[in-house]
Amino acid sequence: MIVNKPTVLLYTIAANPRRLRDVCAGIEEEGVLYEVKEQESGDLETLAYLAANNSMLGSGIGIVGDAMALQIKGMPMGSDVFVLRHPTAEQCRHLGANSARAIKKMPFKEDA
Amino acid sequence: MRRIAGVDIGNSTTEVCIGEVGNDGSLRFLSGASRLTTGTKGTLANVYGIKSALETAVAVYGGRIEDLDVIRLNEAAPVIGDTAMETITETIITESSMIGHNPSTPAGAGQAAGTLLAFDHLESAQAGIPYIVFVPSQYVYEHVAEEINRYAGKLTIAGLILQADEAVLVENRLQHPLPIIDEVRRIDKLPEGKLAAIEVALPGQTVHMLSNPYGIATLLKLNAEETRLATPIAKSLVGKRSAVVIRTPGGNVRENVIPAGSIRIEGDRDREVSIDEGADKIMAALHEAGDIHDISGQPDTNVGHMLSRIKSGMGEVSGESDEHIRITDILAVDTLAPVSIAGALAGETCMEKAVGIAAMVKTQQLPMQQIADRLQQELHVRVIVAGVEAVMASIGAMTTPGTALPLAILDMGGGSTDAAVVDEAGRVTLTHRAGAGELVSMLIQTELGLGARTTAEQIKKYPLAKVESLFHLRLENGEMQFFENSIDPRLFGHVVLITPEGFVRIDEDIPMERIVQVRREAKRKVFVTNALRALTHVAPGHDLRRVPHVVLVGGSAEDFEIPGMLTEEFANYRIVCGRGNIRSTEGPRNAVATGLVLSSLGDKSL
Repeated sequence: MIVNKPTVLLYTIAANPRRLRDVCAGIEEEGVLYEVKEQESGDLETLAYLAANNSMLGSGIGIVGDAMALQIKGMPMGSDVFVLRHPTAEQCRHLGANSARAIKKMPFKEDA
Repeated sequence: MRRIAGVDIGNSTTEVCIGEVGNDGSLRFLSGASRLTTGTKGTLANVYGIKSALETAVAVYGGRIEDLDVIRLNEAAPVIGDTAMETITETIITESSMIGHNPSTPAGAGQAAGTLLAFDHLESAQAGIPYIVFVPSQYVYEHVAEEINRYAGKLTIAGLILQADEAVLVENRLQHPLPIIDEVRRIDKLPEGKLAAIEVALPGQTVHMLSNPYGIATLLKLNAEETRLATPIAKSLVGKRSAVVIRTPGGNVRENVIPAGSIRIEGDRDREVSIDEGADKIMAALHEAGDIHDISGQPDTNVGHMLSRIKSGMGEVSGESDEHIRITDILAVDTLAPVSIAGALAGETCMEKAVGIAAMVKTQQLPMQQIADRLQQELHVRVIVAGVEAVMASIGAMTTPGTALPLAILDMGGGSTDAAVVDEAGRVTLTHRAGAGELVSMLIQTELGLGARTTAEQIKKYPLAKVESLFHLRLENGEMQFFENSIDPRLFGHVVLITPEGFVRIDEDIPMERIVQVRREAKRKVFVTNALRALTHVAPGHDLRRVPHVVLVGGSAEDFEIPGMLTEEFANYRIVCGRGNIRSTEGPRNAVATGLVLSSLGDKSL
């Protein structure tokens, strides 16, 4: 039997490693598990959309290089909850925290 | 055939009603309109609002202002109200001795005591002494965890205090779990070398050692006298998920009781009552005093400042000198206010006892005639000041279906609660009482610790909901509401107000249930108390039961829960009480304007 872990999924293509690390730290601080999966192809919106829909928790993040998007299952493709093109370290933390908070039903942290 | 306009200038809105009197003396209402009052009620600035309301009203039936035969203005009640709030206890912690807050994600659990040590002084620390290490935000979590792990064998590290929001990140990388508190903003204020106790509660629980004076005594080895001094700290840590208490010899914590002072009531019988005794005693003394001449506070006390501030504020509005301003009624309400603790490190607050007071001042007649003259000059229509406001409101209220004489009206506005009774012979008895919508807003604002008065005003007006997902929200009555399109993510997880313009987010992190409770309690304390007070005063023989009908008019009658509260309360006295429905169409608004038009029928001078 294949059991999916309850995780936030991160679908990435050539993600900036420092930014990715900050996103993961944001999720971890909120006490939620995550999985990073490198993808072969797809644009930012598609990655985020697929990540959210494949995540058992219904929360996913797409990262392409520096750019990243947070998506929640049920939202139509293209209408991401948050999109960051050139995020700062703090914004990455917040995006990660918000992906977890979407599951915990807590208010989102807002970008400084 | 003549066209008559009634204009009612209220504190917040200006209401207009236009009627047509046929040659046979029959009256037909043409239209009504409502606009925000421009400027303070009773000043020339009101003219703009009146013109705008008249334009809207005549446009309804396609007429012109010039074709009106007469405009009748209300004789505004010569009272203005104001409110003030004063705390009567205060907690001061000198030399910063505590942190108590609810970071969203502390880590570890348990309590520990030790000497405070800065993170960059780890190498100079001595073995065998328990330490609580504090870490400024410039250090990254990986580095922090690595260093703590490295020193764990050599030093006794009992707990961590972090400035950054990284408690879980650090804890996940530690070899030995520790209680960790994060998001401590003023970490620079921690006194190194002093003894400190920290506690992180288990998930779902609150701190139990540091919210207990004897718990603090156990961890910090306090004697009986020191334990007594630490009690206010324990009190303010009740309900927190994490806390730090620092022992600073020489520094101490006091719970100051500010001399709250007493209120002097000059009336038929003079009375003096101390604020400490609470709102009930004050209101009882007020009742005993009979007709009030003036109310003042003991000089150089909180209440003294409070009442003199109200008087000078009123002086500015009415343009009279302070000594001529007399407070003729007050409404005192007990409340609690979150006051930030002097000397706390993370912006902690403590609920302090406070009293809210609404005061009412009788002024000389407002210069309505000046407004009438200016309006006549600008519009070229005859303008007259006609009729006392409460009498006009009573006449207007009688157009509500299902009413009969004797009839009482209760006009609950922003500053004052007015009541009038019309008996079968048409005689009117009226009263004005301090305290109405503005006092409710103030109580909501202070009790919830809101930054802005406008938020409190909106909480007063609109029902609440919690945004539980991007597609649904839970209303305050437990119902769920679902949406086809997603809700703005900025609202997610927050409590929002459902206003006609859409959702308004409440920024403060307060549970919805608490807001509902505070809102209802504030309305009950002010409106139910005042409705009973005012109606008892005007009822024949001061007997409430002799008033069979009570019609609610004015702004607060439009509230979504106040009329219900009053209907329930008055049902106990077998009184029919409900929101007015002026001319069967206007709801509780427009009573005075309608009364002004109606009363023109009996006015022979026209």
